[in-house]
Amino acid sequence: MSAPFGQLQWLRACYRALPHLGLFALLIAAWEVLVRTGVIASIMVPRPSSIGASIVELYFVKGTIWRHFFITLGEAVGGFLIGAAIAVALAIGSSLWEPFRRYVSPYAVVLNVTPGIALTPIIIAWFGFGMGSKMALAAIISFFPIFVNTLTGLTQPDTEREELFRSLGSSERQVFWMLRVPSALPLMFAGFKIGLTTALIGAVVAEFAQATEGVGVLMSRFSFQLNMGASIATLLSMTLIGLILFYSMEFLDDRTVFWRREERRAAASRNRARAWKRYAKLNSKSGSSI
Amino acid sequence: MATADSRVRDPVVGGNSVGKTFAGGTVVALENASFDIEKGSFVSLVGPSGCGKSTLLRLIAGLIEPTSGSLQVHGSKVSAPRQDVAMMFQRATLLEWRTAIENVLLPTEIQRRVTADDRNRAMELLQLVGLGEFAFSFPAQLSGGMQQRVALARLLQTGADVLLMDEPFGALDEFTRERLNIELLRIVGEVGATTIFVTHNIAEAIFLADKVYVMTPRPGRLAQVIDVPLARPRELAVQTSPEFNRLVEDARETLGAL
Ligand SMILES: Nc1ncnc2c1ncn2[C@@H]1O[C@H](COP(=O)(O)OP(=O)(O)O)[C@@H](O)[C@H]1O
Ligand SMILES: [Mg+2]
Repeated sequence: MSAPFGQLQWLRACYRALPHLGLFALLIAAWEVLVRTGVIASIMVPRPSSIGASIVELYFVKGTIWRHFFITLGEAVGGFLIGAAIAVALAIGSSLWEPFRRYVSPYAVVLNVTPGIALTPIIIAWFGFGMGSKMALAAIISFFPIFVNTLTGLTQPDTEREELFRSLGSSERQVFWMLRVPSALPLMFAGFKIGLTTALIGAVVAEFAQATEGVGVLMSRFSFQLNMGASIATLLSMTLIGLILFYSMEFLDDRTVFWRREERRAAASRNRARAWKRYAKLNSKSGSSI
Repeated sequence: MATADSRVRDPVVGGNSVGKTFAGGTVVALENASFDIEKGSFVSLVGPSGCGKSTLLRLIAGLIEPTSGSLQVHGSKVSAPRQDVAMMFQRATLLEWRTAIENVLLPTEIQRRVTADDRNRAMELLQLVGLGEFAFSFPAQLSGGMQQRVALARLLQTGADVLLMDEPFGALDEFTRERLNIELLRIVGEVGATTIFVTHNIAEAIFLADKVYVMTPRPGRLAQVIDVPLARPRELAVQTSPEFNRLVEDARETLGAL
């Protein structure tokens, strides 16, 4: 019964996507016509067809883009992981110990109001032209949103449940792990999503400034050559990196903070029931053998 | 029907001139409360909001310390939360990332390693509160009344024999509340616990209890003790009996004469 229903769903989705695809095709066609007729100078804005040709060449025929693609992806992810680790550690420290928060917060605020991008020249002077400087910048500008969200999440007042834990004789450690951390997870993941996006910005800006590899380098090289088609084809690879990063985090968020969405809750509910029965069976067996 | 605090045979919870002030002594939440609560009895605390009902419960639970006087549970002084006393709140205070059964197991997990027996006990308690089928549901999948049932099962899972309930069904609709009250009487009767139940509803207080403490505000005091000699098990119909109404009138007079 479910197969035809599934097919119907799929058809309906296609049907709904149709107008969007139509509009997109129309825009591309209009763009192509405007450039071909000379209304827009092709030296400034390339024809969609020439972008398409560049994509085919860069991505499929020569495949030059992939090396740079993975370098930039690695810089963004590496920088994010470093920034997130520091941010979460400092936020945990600040949440557990008030004096620590008082000393850390001013630096975090100063770091936030200083445009992180403006640090690029200094960072490159410190860390060189390689991937290190890109990761450093990515880490710096992804730090703040993660720090603030984690700290806010960990320090949300929840007097009733804290009182419940206390009345059950819990230790501070138990309150932290069993109450505060799970309560903070939704906000932490919101911070991770912002942080991951800003990490990509950091990596690319640092590549624009000074680098030998990465999609940022590739793109500025094409722009200098006035090869607009290839330049935009490279830009699209950044979009692709951004999408990959965003949806990966979205996926992790959805699995970790599973209790927010009905389908995930239902799935978790089934898993827990199964685990419970497995445990019960195991236990009754070992019980009877004694 | 007002009686002086009749002598109690087997007191489980006792207070000697307990007082509690907040804000550096400017807010007197509770003044000179003396009481003895008999083992296995059901006591209601009734009074308008702000008369110190929650304060008294939190004192007994060891969550806060009295500014004057002292409290005993099972003959020993209350100075911190203890395992023979457990508390239930107006909101269910479940953890959304835990299934019903995992929420019930929380007290055990906090105290020690969970054993197969603990797990079986938790499942029995969920069945006792009528939620056996919902053991693996998450709080968001349960109604308000069902969430309070889970909280009740969690309260019983502590193994405490003194149960403190602070307007536990106060946020629920009338019908659900009445049904849960009936079930509560059945359940605490079954486990033989001593129960202190806070409410601001006079009829509810009398319907449930063996003894009702009527509290008055500013400063919070135990103004009157009413013995409720109605037979058990009680049905909702008892609320229309003349005897029940006399008790209600009695409490109302005390509260009216503030
Ligand atoms: N932590 C607190 N700090 C200051 N005042 C408090 C605190 N807790 C309770 N009070 C005050 O004590 C009085 C009694 O409060 P409470 O015991 O919560 O009353 P009830 O539960 O009967 O409504 C109120 O006037 C309240 O404002
Ligand atoms: Mg209260």
